[in-house]
Amino acid sequence: MASKTGFIRKTSPYVRGEANVKRMMLDVLIALAPVTIFTIYKYEWTAVWIIAVAIISMVGTELVYYKLKKEPFTLKNGSALISALIYALILPDITPLWIVFLGGVFGMYFGKLVFGGLGANIFNVAGFARVFIVISFGAYLVYDLDTVAGATALGIVKEAPFNMMVLDNYPLWKLFTGVGEAGSIGELSGLLILIGGIYLFIRRSLDWRIPVSYIGTVLVLATVGALVTGADMSYPLFTILSGGILFGAIFMATDPITSPVTGPGRIYYGFGLGVITYFIRVFGALPEGVVFAILIMNMFVPALDYYKWANSKFTKRSVIVFSVVALLTIGLLIVGV
Amino acid sequence: MIRKTNQIRTLDELPKSLPTVSIDVPEKVYVTLMEMRTKTYTLSVAEGDQVKIGQIIGERDGGYFKQPIFSTVSGTVGKVVKKFTYSSKKTECLEIINDFKEEYAPRVKERADSEISKLTKEQIVEIVKENGVKGLGGGGFPAYIKLNTNDPIDVIILNGVECEPYLSADYQVIMKDSFEIFKGLEYVMQAMGTKRAIIGVKETKEKLLQKLIEVKEEHFKDLNVEIVGVGNYYPQGWEIELIKNTTGINVKPGTLLSEYGIVEFNVTTAQAIYQAVKYNKPVIDRYFTVTGDAISKPCEMTVRVGTPIPNIIEAAGGYGIEGDKVLILGGPMMGSNLLMDDAITSITVTSILVFKPEEHIEEPCVRCASCVYSCPAGLQPVQIMSAAKLKDGDAAKALNVMNCIECGLCSYVCTSKIHLTEFMRKAKKLVK
Repeated sequence: MASKTGFIRKTSPYVRGEANVKRMMLDVLIALAPVTIFTIYKYEWTAVWIIAVAIISMVGTELVYYKLKKEPFTLKNGSALISALIYALILPDITPLWIVFLGGVFGMYFGKLVFGGLGANIFNVAGFARVFIVISFGAYLVYDLDTVAGATALGIVKEAPFNMMVLDNYPLWKLFTGVGEAGSIGELSGLLILIGGIYLFIRRSLDWRIPVSYIGTVLVLATVGALVTGADMSYPLFTILSGGILFGAIFMATDPITSPVTGPGRIYYGFGLGVITYFIRVFGALPEGVVFAILIMNMFVPALDYYKWANSKFTKRSVIVFSVVALLTIGLLIVGV
Repeated sequence: MIRKTNQIRTLDELPKSLPTVSIDVPEKVYVTLMEMRTKTYTLSVAEGDQVKIGQIIGERDGGYFKQPIFSTVSGTVGKVVKKFTYSSKKTECLEIINDFKEEYAPRVKERADSEISKLTKEQIVEIVKENGVKGLGGGGFPAYIKLNTNDPIDVIILNGVECEPYLSADYQVIMKDSFEIFKGLEYVMQAMGTKRAIIGVKETKEKLLQKLIEVKEEHFKDLNVEIVGVGNYYPQGWEIELIKNTTGINVKPGTLLSEYGIVEFNVTTAQAIYQAVKYNKPVIDRYFTVTGDAISKPCEMTVRVGTPIPNIIEAAGGYGIEGDKVLILGGPMMGSNLLMDDAITSITVTSILVFKPEEHIEEPCVRCASCVYSCPAGLQPVQIMSAAKLKDGDAAKALNVMNCIECGLCSYVCTSKIHLTEFMRKAKKLVK
């Protein structure tokens, strides 16, 4: 009865969970679906073309790269597809297709493949591609970063960030639902983005810490700003519903590859994103800075993860340091506005 | 999935409760001469000698402690041979040819209760030492060393959690021998002068809770023992986790439990202490589980220590499949893998699992941090993996890899199916 052969070498543990990368990526695609469909409904063929070219350029680049390297194209998990879709959704509708293509190729190659492919990239691939085309072809985009289409809400507010008179033209419900508003093609409907976010949260395919800390930070800072300048209290809500904060917080900042690996680290990361985003809006030369904030914070990830201080739990010391930094930030804002 | 995970999935096709089968005492048993903590040994018998059950036939040397070696059958001493054991390596074992007389050595004799009640701490420690009682939950740590502490002990904790899936040795011992467990506990409390004890089992195992309460009500009304149901999650059986959930005390890894006034034993160890004190009898058999999707008839049985694995597999109906299998002694999370079934069971082994091989496609790490969230020791497995890849021992040390208990959760939860636990082992070697 006993057999002497056919025993396989394994090391413990011998069972594995059910989580897998493919499923996680599929979840992101599902979460992006409502936003994508709404975008196509709204921009019709323009959106279809931008999305198609983004996918062809990014997925194509990855495919060609692995063919040339003669490595098997094993990354069938859809990560390139997600980068491409997110990249397309943060573009203005007037972006010429050849720019979409160049940005896709450049972003995929220099944002991901040169670092060693999936998992090794430092920057969010879609954000990297987006910033590349803003810097290289800014003149073709006419409207500035993340906010588009003539008189976008943020473009106007830029002149006087706390003047709520201007905002009468942009009722919050319109910004929230995306009905009849202008902006980057995928960032219009806060509602649909939130639905995607809630789906990802239920599936546990995103870490709630990042969007909560990111949006929470912006809300707190905007509330302080409103209190100091005496602006209407709908201003904080306007701040998070306009521009790319919701989209960036839910679909880009949560990219696990380019975020820290500890719970506290992710809270700090979200905080940093919130501060940079809000400061660019209020003090910066650009009307919007979600993508820049994400790329800047991407660079701080290795520092947040550095083994000499990164901890998987909050410690007394880290809470004190974090509180001091947060208070200083609020102080800076009060002095600044 | 980016989340803390502490539930281990089990195969649906395997029955939740297993039938009990009987297994004959084998013609030959093989007694391990070296174990995890004992690297050398001396034998006091020679080939051809007659031995009896419970007879001392030699001594294992673990450096700062020595442990007697017992015969688990009566019969004739054979040769020293090399067999695979729990260590996954070939280890020297003494063959004993069974004469099936089942005679006990003269040293195995009953102590009167009146005599036991007068035993001092030193005497109980000595009896436990003489009978080689060790951590039967799998740790194998000599029980007398735990008892021999000079720290004041406030509470004795018995661990009946058995958190790895499929295993049932603790379940069986509580269902069948609760009385002996309580008795053993009573002796430990007597030795330590401790007034309080806790028995921890999973709250989901209602039968166990019922049984323990029943026996306590019937025989041990005056004993201050709390029966505590703890959460059904992995690794609840880790002593640090169990102590936290039963007493609220946070034990720092690397410190001794006695510093916190705690002594912790597995329930089966308590039973073994009873057997040692009452009958001067070492552990000669263990409750056992044989299961897996490559086993014909998954079942439970009582196995003589030193039984060859093929005998046990045969009692379970043999292998259910032809071709490749994964053979595991111990649990699916922390057990050890054998490349041949020419192996024997030793005192700490209570299960054999045989699975069809499962293939996993490993993908690049996406830094989802599920391993960080799930690590019961609060470590950052993904960062330790990076340190291991860079051969950076300093970083691995600073990341506290030495606190890793190799529970296997990091590999289990990994979204990319990376074998992180293996990297933890590599990183530990870098620190050493």
